[in-house]
Amino acid sequence: MLFRGLLAALVVVAGFFLPRLLGGGGELYSAFVLIAIFAVMAYGLDLIVSDLGEVSLCHTVFFAVGAYTTALMSTGLGSGPIMTFLGASLASLCVAALIGLITLKLREFVFSLVTYALAVVAGTLAQHWSFLGGSDGLRGIPMLALSLGNFTLAAEGDEGIWLVAYVLLLLSLWIIHSFRRSTLGQAAIMVHLNPRLAIMSGIDPARTRLQVFLLSAPVTASAGWLYAYQRAYISADVLDPYFLILMLTAVVLVGKRMLLGPIIGVALILIQERFFSMGAYVDKIILGSVLIAVLVLQPNGLQGLFARYGRQSR
Amino acid sequence: MNFLQQLINGLVLGHAYALLAVGWTVLLGVARLVNFGHGQIYMLCAFTTWFIVSRLGIPYPLAIVAAVAVGAAVGAIMQKIMMGLTLKQDLVRIMIVTLGFGYVLEGAAALFFGSSAQILETPLTAHDFYIKDLWFNGQDFAIIIMAMVFFVALKLIVENTQLGRLVRMVAEDPPLAQLAGINVRRVYIGVFAFEGAAVALAAALVAPRTPILTSMGFEEVIITFVVVVLGGIGSIAGSYVAGLLLGLFSAMFGWLADPSYTMTAAFCVLIAILAIRPGGFAAKRGGN
Repeated sequence: MLFRGLLAALVVVAGFFLPRLLGGGGELYSAFVLIAIFAVMAYGLDLIVSDLGEVSLCHTVFFAVGAYTTALMSTGLGSGPIMTFLGASLASLCVAALIGLITLKLREFVFSLVTYALAVVAGTLAQHWSFLGGSDGLRGIPMLALSLGNFTLAAEGDEGIWLVAYVLLLLSLWIIHSFRRSTLGQAAIMVHLNPRLAIMSGIDPARTRLQVFLLSAPVTASAGWLYAYQRAYISADVLDPYFLILMLTAVVLVGKRMLLGPIIGVALILIQERFFSMGAYVDKIILGSVLIAVLVLQPNGLQGLFARYGRQSR
Repeated sequence: MNFLQQLINGLVLGHAYALLAVGWTVLLGVARLVNFGHGQIYMLCAFTTWFIVSRLGIPYPLAIVAAVAVGAAVGAIMQKIMMGLTLKQDLVRIMIVTLGFGYVLEGAAALFFGSSAQILETPLTAHDFYIKDLWFNGQDFAIIIMAMVFFVALKLIVENTQLGRLVRMVAEDPPLAQLAGINVRRVYIGVFAFEGAAVALAAALVAPRTPILTSMGFEEVIITFVVVVLGGIGSIAGSYVAGLLLGLFSAMFGWLADPSYTMTAAFCVLIAILAIRPGGFAAKRGGN
């Protein structure tokens, strides 16, 4: 047990220094920061897809709520990062509660359909509503700086933000891990795989689904929080279908209910886009094709592929 | 802009919406399948029509035929690729896969047609008609006539022909249809090709009304959802009426309130309907 703990601690520390070990540099740090942010974003969706077995297409809305709340609070009220973090989480909870109540009785594709429509509506709202900056978006988000007494920790540039991004990533990994061991996590899986048994065991499926939905929203919103600081401005782009397709692909690519699945998925996609890009349009075709190919050919993701080869070689 | 003008706008818009959605209605009612790439097929076929008319100089009626062929081909290819999921009726995966297809189509369209907005001009858009101070153009007229012809023909085919009976049988009970010697795969491919062709026809006719963009597919889908839900799943006559109602609603909302929030208002209508009849989706199968 002690050995495993030490090993985990070692991996965690090594993970932090990974970009430096790979040579550092602005481009590399920026890739690492984005991988961490988008992985956190995908973990929120992972809870819904892997554990509840539903497909939410409105998680881009939570991402946007996190980003917009941060932008509004930091530029309008002059709030610091802790306040904006709390604000982003709270705002996403409110939005999730509203969406959850609307979609409580809906299942399968009807649920997805309504959540998809919500994402589109949120996009048009962000484009047109002057409170959210309209099509210009919100500019001038200050640098992420934490002050404790006289001590100030300023995250300057991507290298500075990397520490925060890494901590946020670890935090969401911990949340997902603890959730899957918790009563709620067990209940969610039962509701997903055997709703009748769940009801007989005294679990209220609607309540469980709402709770998991509420848990997933702040996870994705916290990614939006950091994304706002990283980009320093926010516009309706955060509701682009790209984020939706990225999240979905990252969640299904490696395999469901794999703790490290979404981060590996996001990393593979972003490495292709950042270092082996073939132009924005071809990258789109690649990302979409990967999503199709995984679901049609290998529904259990890459993990299933390896498992199969493993069996064959034995 | 008076009330009567808005009524005309609403009627044109309504027929456009009905035509846009009819492919989904049949797809969902007959095959119990969904296509989240619907809007992107619309976009692709709008660009195809534009390209054929303005770049190749081929007459508009031939361009419509070509766009419909492209739509049908895209639909058939999509279904062929995900046949395994269809036979298992794995709706959740089909949904994500069709979303992926939509994304691929968007990238491909931007690659071939460029990302700038285009205006599709047809011989009909130039013809303006005036009745006193009411105005509409030839394209509007064509949309209404074509939509009516299409819906009547579709209803007759589904209800009265051998083909219609075949498709309805597959919809009612796929395994039984297979036992009866029907090639279920071919019916599924046919239905998906029809969905592609129908949305292509809508694109070729309706796209001249607005600038065409590679990103527009995302929003077209909402209209389709609302029409399909409002009309009742799989009901052809229902989706005609629903399209018309939504068109009138959009025109009046745009006139009395803010046109940029029409989509939001349409979505609120969808939510309201779902609140009233949450089971509306699963209510009917087989559709006619």
